[in-house]
Amino acid sequence: MKSPHFLQLANICLLITGLLSWGKIAAQTTNGDSVQNANSAHVNEKKSPVKNTFESNLILDNQTVMVPQKGTLEFDIQHRFGIVNNGYTDFYGVFAPAIIRMGFEYVPVKNIQLGFGLCKDKMQLDFNVKYAIINQQKNGIPVSVTYYGNIVIDTRSKSNFVSSGDRLSYFNQLLIARKIDSKISVQAAISLSHFNNVPGYIDADGVIRNSLQNDQFTLSFMGRYKLSEKMAFLVDYDQPLTQNATNNPFPELAFGLEITTSSHCFQIIAGNSQYILPQNNALYNQNDLLKGQYLLGFNMTKLWSF
Amino acid sequence: MSSVAALTIICFSFKPDTKKQWIAPTSGASKTNPQKGSESISNGKALFAKHCQSCHGKTGKGDGLKASELKTEPGDFSKIIFQSQSDGSVFYKISEGRDDMPSFKKKISDANDIWDIINYVRTLKK
Repeated sequence: MKSPHFLQLANICLLITGLLSWGKIAAQTTNGDSVQNANSAHVNEKKSPVKNTFESNLILDNQTVMVPQKGTLEFDIQHRFGIVNNGYTDFYGVFAPAIIRMGFEYVPVKNIQLGFGLCKDKMQLDFNVKYAIINQQKNGIPVSVTYYGNIVIDTRSKSNFVSSGDRLSYFNQLLIARKIDSKISVQAAISLSHFNNVPGYIDADGVIRNSLQNDQFTLSFMGRYKLSEKMAFLVDYDQPLTQNATNNPFPELAFGLEITTSSHCFQIIAGNSQYILPQNNALYNQNDLLKGQYLLGFNMTKLWSF
Repeated sequence: MSSVAALTIICFSFKPDTKKQWIAPTSGASKTNPQKGSESISNGKALFAKHCQSCHGKTGKGDGLKASELKTEPGDFSKIIFQSQSDGSVFYKISEGRDDMPSFKKKISDANDIWDIINYVRTLKK
């Protein structure tokens, strides 16, 4: 018998497939002859890769399917201010303690990117890999598929941990995207975050229990709409799937503006997750948008081609 | 008086040559453009905005935001002196670069994208 969890995942997969194939279905004709003509025309049309589904590795708080061309070095600065709730006291979070990550990524071989970064939050050092498995093609494959994974090491002093394994967390994400037309790109992703160590509590019987699950599944949807050749509107939504005993993470919703130049990308963000590293956002996000707990931030990337 | 005249001559002697001729080699200039059509122009327009506009300006007149910082003139794409060049010649210049003009052969690794930019630049002719 299939478990409810399996059925839930199957439903989600069907939903993603439906969403991503929408553009293709909408373009198809209903008349039988027209379908036949369209098919024969497709055979004659050349397949070519669809470019620039996204303009950056990042879309607000998530990754995109994009892996830059071979030989590209990228430098990232990600910055999240405090929540706006305190108003003028800390200038709507801008002067509140911020979380910052600096990272480098390099593409040594086609479609594979390796990177590392350091985050101010718990001095977490991350090593990441991104692999573009499938690229969307004009008159061919309808979607791009990319894997993104990381391993994060909490590098704070030994006194914060019982064993060295407690420092580690992992993130695995499968991203599926489709460039619908020259202006609109959509993406869906399913991710699994794993923490070797999570906070605990003592129950009524005096037994120590995990307050959060070690494994957290999250479903994400992102979109990009080009406002002009250099500017785009971005949206990113993360829905936690795993239920936890306490402190269930809140869904994340972020909006942003993206400005791109030849070798830079700048994203201004308004959203409710602040941790930058994706597994931390997936498990620990306690900012509730319905209570106005959102914050501002930005991502900046600089590219060099070698 | 004579020293002022001498100083003036020296200053003008060392003024950078902003209109230095740039001629593409025959092997490059004779290349033919394989891209055509509205889709090519549309892609070229997006790439032009991303990679070229900051120096060459929105309409290619050499009046971009960074143009005033350049030592060499970025040229005027709307004029016949630019438009009379072959596509191959423009392709060579975009790929290789010179002085302030960077080489784009690594940054824009797909040659068809460069041809698309050229197709868009052709639409800027007045």
